[in-house]
Amino acid sequence: MKISFTLNKQAVTIDVEPMKRLLDVLREDFNLLGAKEACGEGECGACTVLLNGEPVTSCILNAAHADGSEIETVEGISQTELGKLIIDCFDETNAVQCGFCFPGFFISSYHYIKTDGEKDLNKIKTALSGNICRCTGYEKIFESVMLACERAN
Amino acid sequence: MKCVKKFDAIPKLDGSWKFIDDYSYDDMLHGQLLYSTCHHGYIKKINFPANYNLSEFTMVSPKDITGDNIVPEPVCDQPFMVDKEVMHFGQVIMGIAHPNRKLLLKFIKETKIEYEELPAITDIKECLDNEENHFGKETIIDHRTKKEPKGEWIHHHNVYYTPHQEQAYLEPQGVISVYDPKANSMFVLISAQCPFFVKSGVEAIMGDAVSEVIIESPEGIGGAFGGKEDFPSLFAGISSLLSYKSGKPVKMILERVDDIQITTKRHPARVELDTWTDPITKKIKRCRIDYRIDAGAYQTLSPVVLARGVLHSISGYSVLDTFIRGRLFKSNTPSNGAFRGFGVPQALAAMEAHIDRIAADLNINPYEFRKINLFRIGDEFPTTQKIVEEHLSDCLERVIQKSDYHKKVIEFAEWNKTHKDKKGIGIAIGYHGGGYTGNGEKVLDSEVKVIIDKEAQVKIFVANTDMGQGAHTTLAQMFFEAIEHPREKCWVQLPNTSKTPNSGPTVASRTIYIIGNLLRKFAFQIKDELKFKNLEEYVKTHQNEFPKEFHKKFVPDKSVIFDEDTNVGIAYKDYSWAACVTEILFRADTYKIDLKKNWNVMDVGKVVNEKIAMGQAEGGITQGLAYGLSEFFYKPGFGRANGFTGYTLPTSLDLPEMNIEFIHTDSEIAKGLGEIPMDFPAPSVRNAFHNATGVFVDEYPMIPERLFKALEENK
Ligand code: FES
Ligand code: FES
Repeated sequence: MKISFTLNKQAVTIDVEPMKRLLDVLREDFNLLGAKEACGEGECGACTVLLNGEPVTSCILNAAHADGSEIETVEGISQTELGKLIIDCFDETNAVQCGFCFPGFFISSYHYIKTDGEKDLNKIKTALSGNICRCTGYEKIFESVMLACERAN
Repeated sequence: MKCVKKFDAIPKLDGSWKFIDDYSYDDMLHGQLLYSTCHHGYIKKINFPANYNLSEFTMVSPKDITGDNIVPEPVCDQPFMVDKEVMHFGQVIMGIAHPNRKLLLKFIKETKIEYEELPAITDIKECLDNEENHFGKETIIDHRTKKEPKGEWIHHHNVYYTPHQEQAYLEPQGVISVYDPKANSMFVLISAQCPFFVKSGVEAIMGDAVSEVIIESPEGIGGAFGGKEDFPSLFAGISSLLSYKSGKPVKMILERVDDIQITTKRHPARVELDTWTDPITKKIKRCRIDYRIDAGAYQTLSPVVLARGVLHSISGYSVLDTFIRGRLFKSNTPSNGAFRGFGVPQALAAMEAHIDRIAADLNINPYEFRKINLFRIGDEFPTTQKIVEEHLSDCLERVIQKSDYHKKVIEFAEWNKTHKDKKGIGIAIGYHGGGYTGNGEKVLDSEVKVIIDKEAQVKIFVANTDMGQGAHTTLAQMFFEAIEHPREKCWVQLPNTSKTPNSGPTVASRTIYIIGNLLRKFAFQIKDELKFKNLEEYVKTHQNEFPKEFHKKFVPDKSVIFDEDTNVGIAYKDYSWAACVTEILFRADTYKIDLKKNWNVMDVGKVVNEKIAMGQAEGGITQGLAYGLSEFFYKPGFGRANGFTGYTLPTSLDLPEMNIEFIHTDSEIAKGLGEIPMDFPAPSVRNAFHNATGVFVDEYPMIPERLFKALEENK
């Protein structure tokens, strides 16, 4: 099946098996390796990307879903102004440990700051509750996102 | 300089840092493991599905092994692949490779194996309650006096159980083996903690078939926590055999479900405690500890876990008359292995709960009781090692003060009188020895290498991996801070066994404690040798001396003498100390414990990078809390859990407010930090539940069903 979508602001078309996972399309067909597979069942958020501006777990979505949509991955978002601001905040707090979960956290944080952005710990915790991190205990992630909210406003 | 940023944070955030699955080679095959779905028995037949072209697959079984079918471990008893008898669910039967990963997974799923089944032990209690399942050597610490217990002493006896715990590193196990027929060498890129362990594993399975084995770390290792200490040897052995047989690079990345089913876990434990206390002085007079852990089907590294557990099992108390017996037990579940804490969280789960139990019976506050029995300078560990500092007592006092413990105990008791929900607060304390036990560091004979080039770039070569704990940032920092060299001119190189000397494994909180302190000393030594004030200036004016290579070995302190047969002597040169308090709210309607606040005060010596250290502590505390509260395999040993849907990990909504403080940071040396945060959160929650409800729970995790049962039984 031929599908067309916008990938990090660029129009793309590919011929792909409709049931191929979106995560595999990104990693294998576009060599975008930022989204990671940690569970493959929609539980951990390591494979998060934005689909029409909403965070989705790309390991449980099929390629067909992408048709006609707008997809943004960590590779694209990290180049935006807000993306860079958020990266700086994560960097300053030394929040990143193994980093396997971080592209996912980065996207969820970006989405939160873009759509709400209030410097409210409880709201941030809820916004990030779909992402699992086994290394950090989340504290430094909250700290970074609080800082990013402050700076983005 | 304390908050040097991590060198790898930005590429990890923008997705450009490469983990094992992000590497690929031309003409690469994908490998997977075909493993047993029977707990114990003989394989009668393997039925591959029809409609596949078998000639497209590369398969390896024990008959393809060119070396030995035994994984090198402290005890060499585990085969790479089933030889005759299947000993546990998840035991590797074959390695299979194919160019198409999806097709390969489907093929394996459709492969059916017929077994002749034998009786199997898969339940933790069935394993640990029955003395007949004991195997291997015992570990005993005998510090008994000849005296019989006095009649007026109060005897407490109780048995505590702890379950398996999954490391759940977010990146599943992954490896790429590349056989080069021209050079007859095997190159292995692997997400593993200890490249030299993997090297021994691959050399063992390949035997003389290859002339060189090189192991390298990818840029990123997506978490490990002990789970990538010994399993990678087996894993890389099989991928290498597949690469050798096919002549092609083979990438093997485990699916999460398989990773959870077949890899090592924290050992389940049964700890039976007998203590006698003088009711007048409130001193523990006598202690007997029976510490049992379920090793799984093979011993592998379990004796080392056993020893570490036994050595910490008395927690922070001075008891003159002590006898500790540690034993391994056998079950038909995958061999258990390393996990942050390495036997200690199990031991403390028991002792720290027991202390609160005794305190309750003596009608004394758990803090007071701890204070009375705590080690003092001049007291001895059961190993006869003398206590030389009272930092544990300092940790305890500080955490009590910070958490406002005394006031809360009174307030909560009052509040609980009029509420169905109950508030509680609990303490746990203890220590964690850094580095290998006893003479281990002598045997390791660790070495590091430094190259300084013509541009005054310092390249550090160590075998220790950065699996997220920030080791490579902190190690470099320890070097460049010592000689005041610019940060951007000092880098730890990615470990590669052909270029890196063996500085020992990345385990046992030893990376910063042993290797970091060594690098710091080394930096001073190089400065003295070359007599420079400023390295950059020196290199500029002495260009012909560079590039220059320096080597240094770790020389263990001669006064550290430990008898491994009798467990007498100095088990660890340096101990980290910690005290933890947790505040909870028990919900009477859902039988759920809400974690409210958690305080940790630790002495880990010098803190090199405060934010990295804090991050380590926060992560360890989180794993510790979840160990006591929620992480659980519903059916241990029986397919266990289905990925992360069955084995649930704490999310951002499940954790308490954390407050961490490091004390005595003016120390010259950085002590162990990786493991100690894991040890105390779980027992502090258990004690908080007792404080809230007056009821003790003897098993982890404290899930609602178990709390319900404990409360019903105590009505
Ligand atoms: S990998 Fe997609 S949610 Fe975990
Ligand atoms: S940093 Fe390792 S899982 Fe989040």
